[in-house]
Amino acid sequence: MATKKLAFIVKSLPYKTEASRLALTHAIASQTVEIYLEDGDMVEPVLAFMGDGVLNCLKNQKAMTLYGVTSLEQHIKNSLLLDLKVMICKEDVERFGLSEDALIMDAEDIGGETNANIAPFNEIMKEMDSSDHLLFF
Amino acid sequence: MGELSSATPAQTLDVLGRVCPYPLVLTKKAMEKLPSGAVIKVLCDAPASAEDSIPRYAEKQGFKFESVKNEGYWELYIQKK
Repeated sequence: MATKKLAFIVKSLPYKTEASRLALTHAIASQTVEIYLEDGDMVEPVLAFMGDGVLNCLKNQKAMTLYGVTSLEQHIKNSLLLDLKVMICKEDVERFGLSEDALIMDAEDIGGETNANIAPFNEIMKEMDSSDHLLFF
Repeated sequence: MGELSSATPAQTLDVLGRVCPYPLVLTKKAMEKLPSGAVIKVLCDAPASAEDSIPRYAEKQGFKFESVKNEGYWELYIQKK
């Protein structure tokens, strides 16, 4: 009986590749694998956006209009709807001159109760240190 | 009609149009909030979720489960133990 903590670290720009979408869908899907594990075994995912990856968290993405693909914004909201821990690197948010208002911080419009957290790099590092597996996207 | 499908559900969860893994994770989230003994009715049109992952989840948790197949979707009844 054990919990495996997985940290999904998103450093890629949105829409340049499928990397950030894969991170989000894998983090969400990790919540279903317990049905295939031994009784009591669990998976705890953490999603952290760092570097250029913080731009995935911008509000009002017009992905369908600009690129003809579904928006990552909805995937991030779905992560919050499913109570995943979502962290956005504070230093990188500041480096891009972004404010909290510009970022997807909640999913209240779809019934979500969990908020994203703009966290200092050292907090994200602590999450990474305490994770069993690090997955970089 | 089965025992669960004839009961009045405490909640109806509509995941029609949602594909794997959302039906299962939304069902799990809803089940966590239900009191013991309560029945949830899940409307689902994703075959992999309705016929595999959600029944497997219910079995693993020891929850009672019934499935009613309709034209193009399933009614899934789960009772929390």
